[in-house]
Amino acid sequence: MILETKGLCKQFGNMYALKDIDFSIKEGEIHGLVGENGAGKSTLIKILTGVYHLDKGEIFVEGKKVIITDPAQSRELGINVIHQDRNLIPIFNGVENIYLGLKSETKNLCFVDFKKMKEKIVKVMKEYGIDVPLDKMAKELSSPQKTLFEITRAMMTECKLLILDEPTASLTDKETKILFDIIKKLNEKGTAILYITHRMDEIFQLTNRITVFKNGELVKTVNKNEIDKDGLISLMTDKWTRSKVKEKKSDFGKVIYEVKNIASDNKVVKDVSFKVREREILGIFGLGGSGRTELLEAIYGFEKVSSGEIYLEDKKLEKINTTNSLKNGVVLINEDRRGKSLISTRSVKDNIVLSTIDNYVKKGIYNAKKEKEDAENKVKELKIKTSSINQPTGELSGGNQQKVVFAKALMSNPKIFLCDEPTQAVDVKTREEIHKLLRECADKGSAVVFVTSDLKEMLDVADNILIMAQGRTWELIPNEDITSEQILKYCYLERNLKNGNN
Amino acid sequence: METINKKKVSMKGILKAYGTIFALIVIIIVFAAINPKSFMSIGNFWNITRQMAILSVIAIGATLIMNVEEFDLSLGTIASFGGVCAAVLTITGVPFIIALIIAVIVSAMIGFVNGYIVTRFKVMSFIITLAMSRVIYGITYWMSGGAIIFNGIPESFTTFGTGKIGPIFYLTIFMVVITVIFYYLTKSTAFGRKLYAIGGNEQASKVAGIKVSLYKTLAFTIAAAMAGMAGVLLASRVGSASPTAGDAYCLNAYAAIFIGKTLGKEGVPNVLGTLVGVAIFTVLANGLTILQVPTFVQNILTGGIIVLAVVAQKIGNKKNA
Repeated sequence: MILETKGLCKQFGNMYALKDIDFSIKEGEIHGLVGENGAGKSTLIKILTGVYHLDKGEIFVEGKKVIITDPAQSRELGINVIHQDRNLIPIFNGVENIYLGLKSETKNLCFVDFKKMKEKIVKVMKEYGIDVPLDKMAKELSSPQKTLFEITRAMMTECKLLILDEPTASLTDKETKILFDIIKKLNEKGTAILYITHRMDEIFQLTNRITVFKNGELVKTVNKNEIDKDGLISLMTDKWTRSKVKEKKSDFGKVIYEVKNIASDNKVVKDVSFKVREREILGIFGLGGSGRTELLEAIYGFEKVSSGEIYLEDKKLEKINTTNSLKNGVVLINEDRRGKSLISTRSVKDNIVLSTIDNYVKKGIYNAKKEKEDAENKVKELKIKTSSINQPTGELSGGNQQKVVFAKALMSNPKIFLCDEPTQAVDVKTREEIHKLLRECADKGSAVVFVTSDLKEMLDVADNILIMAQGRTWELIPNEDITSEQILKYCYLERNLKNGNN
Repeated sequence: METINKKKVSMKGILKAYGTIFALIVIIIVFAAINPKSFMSIGNFWNITRQMAILSVIAIGATLIMNVEEFDLSLGTIASFGGVCAAVLTITGVPFIIALIIAVIVSAMIGFVNGYIVTRFKVMSFIITLAMSRVIYGITYWMSGGAIIFNGIPESFTTFGTGKIGPIFYLTIFMVVITVIFYYLTKSTAFGRKLYAIGGNEQASKVAGIKVSLYKTLAFTIAAAMAGMAGVLLASRVGSASPTAGDAYCLNAYAAIFIGKTLGKEGVPNVLGTLVGVAIFTVLANGLTILQVPTFVQNILTGGIIVLAVVAQKIGNKKNA
């Protein structure tokens, strides 16, 4: 065994991110790691690379017990990781980037010997058949070239285990093939590979063994030829369906919000269309990187839309920006609570009235009394726990902070709620309250677009579920008698983009 | 954890929130002790308030820019420009009040250009306004012919800068009026609230539908208008206009804002705090001059105080975080 973990545990608050993980990678194998969003894959990598510290358990490298304290040490042990967001310095060239964190070659006591460094790199590149220009700055390179840079960097020192975290997320098929050839070559030369991906075909194409994670637990490690795709997916999820309590049928009204062929300027959202009706909660589900957050930000006007149309009550929306969205009754509950939703240093009151400041001005006089009343009412209505409306929002608990975000949203009496992970890092009770609140808003005639990575939550909350993958929307599935397994199958479906969407 | 800490530092909190005022009082006491006769006279009190006026007008305007977490380093040259502009106009026969209005409007336009470039192209205000200050200096130099203008300035030009009602200078009254207006503007108008929101979290403000670019540009525009006005007042007070007269005010204005930031719980730039900051500077300069401390020592002391104030703030913030 090149790497082995015994009883690995990691807790965040009182939630287990990893629980009793007994995991092993053999010498010279390519090991696939799969699991749905939040299953604990990233947490495991972060522990192996010294970013997080384990709470309990042991790690063995080549049979020797090790304690990994920081990324540099993990590298010394021969563990290298290549992340989906590549860690290169844009203005550095190949030699400089590859030698980041390595000791530079020197000549004449202290001068950096770039020639010697380059020679060493070229030698390594030749060995593995990697071909990337070294004198170009990282920002001038394509994404596969950057990945190859990182692989070269990993190979500069003795690399026993190379972890690849979704390396093909932004690659074309041809580029993927080049990468796979190199991975195989590395593997033949004795480096074990841990390969993490959402793409099923890659898993079966590349790996020897596959480990499945679910809710922070290791479900099973199987040999590739003992299982098929459907079998793998069924290991990744319990067969959840909608909770019986919530199975109340809603009668939807007319379509009030329609998005047609939206693409975002940042190119993450490529082609999205959907309709939401009054009293409907439409869930949008996709795996990490499918573009859900970017979609909501684009249709709200926080990011630029490059093409497509949005209709609100059959009227086409012109000039989509945040100010107009609010005016039209569209609100966005951001995923990034601290970064984009709240001003943490300011009071609860200031945050609640943030988007409705203009409503308190009458003939040039600011009605501070009304503002205070409104804030106090919302605090009562949503049961926000705060010492007073003047307490800085950053001092509240996560759940109460999120309630402040909702209070702010409700202040503008919205017709359309765009919610991106509204229950993220929120306690169970608040989570229930938020679900109830969304349902109440829907029942009053609003439409809710609901995004969550938690499949169970999705099944509990949404009336209909729209599948999103690779920046596009696909199947629309009524949330009746459908299981989480079926939904995941849609997400893992191989899509042929030439046939357009839907 | 956090709440426990809060209670423990509450005494410290008071000291922190009003520390700037204590500092001002301490400075006054020290000068009063050393030289009670000249320093503690009523005449000197009114004199100090007059000396405060010009810096406070620039600094209060610049407070708006600091509120949205930007910088305008061209305010000093805009003040010089304002003074020269008004002086040149009055020499050609334009009444003082009209010259003042024109100088302020043109200054505001410069500020608008600053703000527009910064928000439209999302570039650092620091470097844009630094570059613009060169442009403005060039224009001012050309207008003044590179010399200090004093020949031909009519008596009416200096009335506003030097006149008084009883013992109170016009400038003092003007400073009070400006302070009141801007206090109201920042504390209790939608405009002011939005500036504070943008300074707190630009992204969240944008999500909340606030027109971030518009309000930032407005802040630049108003601040430049105030700087131009301060320049006219300065020229009016000394009876001449130099193409570099206002330059030094820029740094002092930001220093005053930084010192004033500590006034109040939130630790954000605020009008009253800025005024206290200006007072600290002015009292120091006044007291040291009365004590006949050489100018270079005054510079060392004032510069040192800015460094101390900013560092003290950082330490205070860390404890709070």
